[in-house]
Amino acid sequence: MAAVIIDTVSKSFGSHLAVDDLSLEVPARSIYGFIGPNGSGKTTTLRMIMRILHPDRGHIRVLGREMLAAANDRVGYLPEERGLYKQMKVHDLLRFYAELKGFRDSKRAIADWLERLALADWADKKIETLSKGMAQKVQFISAVIARPELVLLDEPFSGLDPVNLDVIRNAILELNRQGVTVIFSTHDMAVAEKMCDYIFMIYKGRKVLDGTLASIQQTYGQDTVRVRLANQGVPLADLPGVLQVDDFGHCQELRIAPHTEPNRLLECLMARGVVQHFELAHPTLHEIFIRIAGNGEHQ
Amino acid sequence: MRKTMVIAAREYRAAVRTKTFVISLVMLPILMAGSFLLQRMFRGIVDTQDKHFVLVSHQAPRPLLDAVTAALDAYNRTDSFDKETHKQIKPRFIIDKIEPAAQSAAAHDRLRLTLSDQIRDGQLVGFMEIIPAGYKHGEGNKPRPPADDTYAPLVLRYQTNRPTFLAFSRFVEKVVTDSVRAQLGKKAGLNRAQTLALASPVAVEFKGLVKLDAGTGAIAESSEQGRFAGVIVPGVMMMLMFMVILMTATPLMQGIVEEKMQRIAEVLLGSVPPFELMMGKILGMVGVSLTIAGVYLGGAYWAAQHFGIADSISIELLIWFVIFQALAGLMFGSLFIAIGAACTDMKETQNLLWPVMLLACLPMFLLGNILQEPSGPIARGLSFFPFATPTLMMARIASPPGIPWWEPAIGVALVLATTLLCVYVAGRIFRIGILLQGKGARLGEILTWAIRG
Repeated sequence: MAAVIIDTVSKSFGSHLAVDDLSLEVPARSIYGFIGPNGSGKTTTLRMIMRILHPDRGHIRVLGREMLAAANDRVGYLPEERGLYKQMKVHDLLRFYAELKGFRDSKRAIADWLERLALADWADKKIETLSKGMAQKVQFISAVIARPELVLLDEPFSGLDPVNLDVIRNAILELNRQGVTVIFSTHDMAVAEKMCDYIFMIYKGRKVLDGTLASIQQTYGQDTVRVRLANQGVPLADLPGVLQVDDFGHCQELRIAPHTEPNRLLECLMARGVVQHFELAHPTLHEIFIRIAGNGEHQ
Repeated sequence: MRKTMVIAAREYRAAVRTKTFVISLVMLPILMAGSFLLQRMFRGIVDTQDKHFVLVSHQAPRPLLDAVTAALDAYNRTDSFDKETHKQIKPRFIIDKIEPAAQSAAAHDRLRLTLSDQIRDGQLVGFMEIIPAGYKHGEGNKPRPPADDTYAPLVLRYQTNRPTFLAFSRFVEKVVTDSVRAQLGKKAGLNRAQTLALASPVAVEFKGLVKLDAGTGAIAESSEQGRFAGVIVPGVMMMLMFMVILMTATPLMQGIVEEKMQRIAEVLLGSVPPFELMMGKILGMVGVSLTIAGVYLGGAYWAAQHFGIADSISIELLIWFVIFQALAGLMFGSLFIAIGAACTDMKETQNLLWPVMLLACLPMFLLGNILQEPSGPIARGLSFFPFATPTLMMARIASPPGIPWWEPAIGVALVLATTLLCVYVAGRIFRIGILLQGKGARLGEILTWAIRG
């Protein structure tokens, strides 16, 4: 069963087409990563799933229902722009959000979440006294406190230090293990690669990638060679079949043309110096992202 | 509805649990009472420096001039001092008298110019001319023979650059008037009492309605204070409602702008649809406004009891007040919240706010007319204009003898219909405006949102 079905949806703001004829199916209990450059339509898509924005065209079904207007109590939402009532105490604020979602007996759940995210000592403190990281954790709890079946997290890791990033990541994974469908947007490709069951990339309002990491990488094939030579600084761009060289200092990534013979390339490399490392690989998500967003490859 | 009530409860708690709310609730009456007390306290503190004037007599009758001179002497010697402490409490009037010889009109103008220049230089406070009837320029300074028209009619002409300092002009006016009356009375063979009776209008005694005391069975006159209740109660109710609307609607608008600036709005919209969010906020505001009104009305009722006019505040009156206050809160709240949603900072709200403020202030511009004639055509007609209905209908209900029940009933229906329209339109503006960031909406855009949704 699909948690979210987006069917040929379009949305414009004035003359700007933010989302163009988008179709997407998010399986239940999966973690779905939305990636794409700034302004590509990720937030607009999330807002349309939440019904904060209405599509100009197409249909969106969430948890089996096509909602018309009401914010769904079964869906949790963490917007990209964080904001909390600064004068409210942490516990009161979370209870308020729980009540808004129709979750009345929230005292125990609030205590549990505050404990899990190391905020128990701050329950009676005002939001204005919290650090930015703490406030973000409170915001995250407010999105999941009412035990939603689906959570939409817009850039949940932005601005977090590595410790808090791990805390939130583990919390998301735990929610997913409990059966919650998670959709989140991110600019961190490494996180998306490691966490997501499915990855969807939107670029200039259009879907350019959708599927598992393996299936996406499969479409690009093994067109990347990672090499390390003992003698650094040797020019490699002129090697036969090499389309592009990304130099990382101690190693280089070569993008090779289709049908390039790897053994032949290795021979050429050996002629240039001592080869310490040679690896034929799929492109990383980061590389795929750059190819699409940086070079407009999909076009 | 549940979400609306959760929002309303939070808004209400957030508003009334602050120190600012308690302070403003207490401070307003303190400031009003304080200003009254300060005026009373400083009433006795006056500038007692001598004030210099020139009295110009254009052939005024000698007894009249003598009377003015004698009165001024008496004032400067005794009346400007406190009788018990002998401390000077008023400024003395130092007078130079000028009795010009025959003057041409040009010479007369030159004299006025000279004296005016002295006032500009600060040497004089003002000058008073006593001009008898029939005075003509250039007739010479010859004493006039007594005639029947010696004292009537006189003209007192006073010139100064301090028009608010009226003590001297009033003093001379009173002395001259008394003197003229006394002389004319004497000539007519009337005694002092008869002269006074001739010169004074017959007094009308204004009284409230008599009533039957249920306890004693005696017929009792209403208290002296009760006579004023018919003006005080409607005035206070009208002002209170107006004040409470502004006290609560403005923070509501500011709150929306702040929520947009602090990015709270989208978090809320993830849990509650825009219309319910807006309604929750407005209902919270109505709750706050009724709380403020309740506190002040309680205080006013206590004061009314203290001054013996509690009979003028009936239960029906209070019920009407609550109904109209709540409706006014909904109606103006929806307008203020729509403005807040369409703007991205407080500066922008100022441009859009003035038409709404004009609507809210409309009854205040006509306060005098309305209190004087609560069932007159202006008050009556305007009380069926929905944006003025709550305050005006309230004032009219509170003004004796009141109005027929169907008039406020129609008023309620009109305000209710207008409120529904305002809430509907505000909801459309709110839904789009609440996510607006960066630059605020122009009036044209807001109208488009309101019409097209």
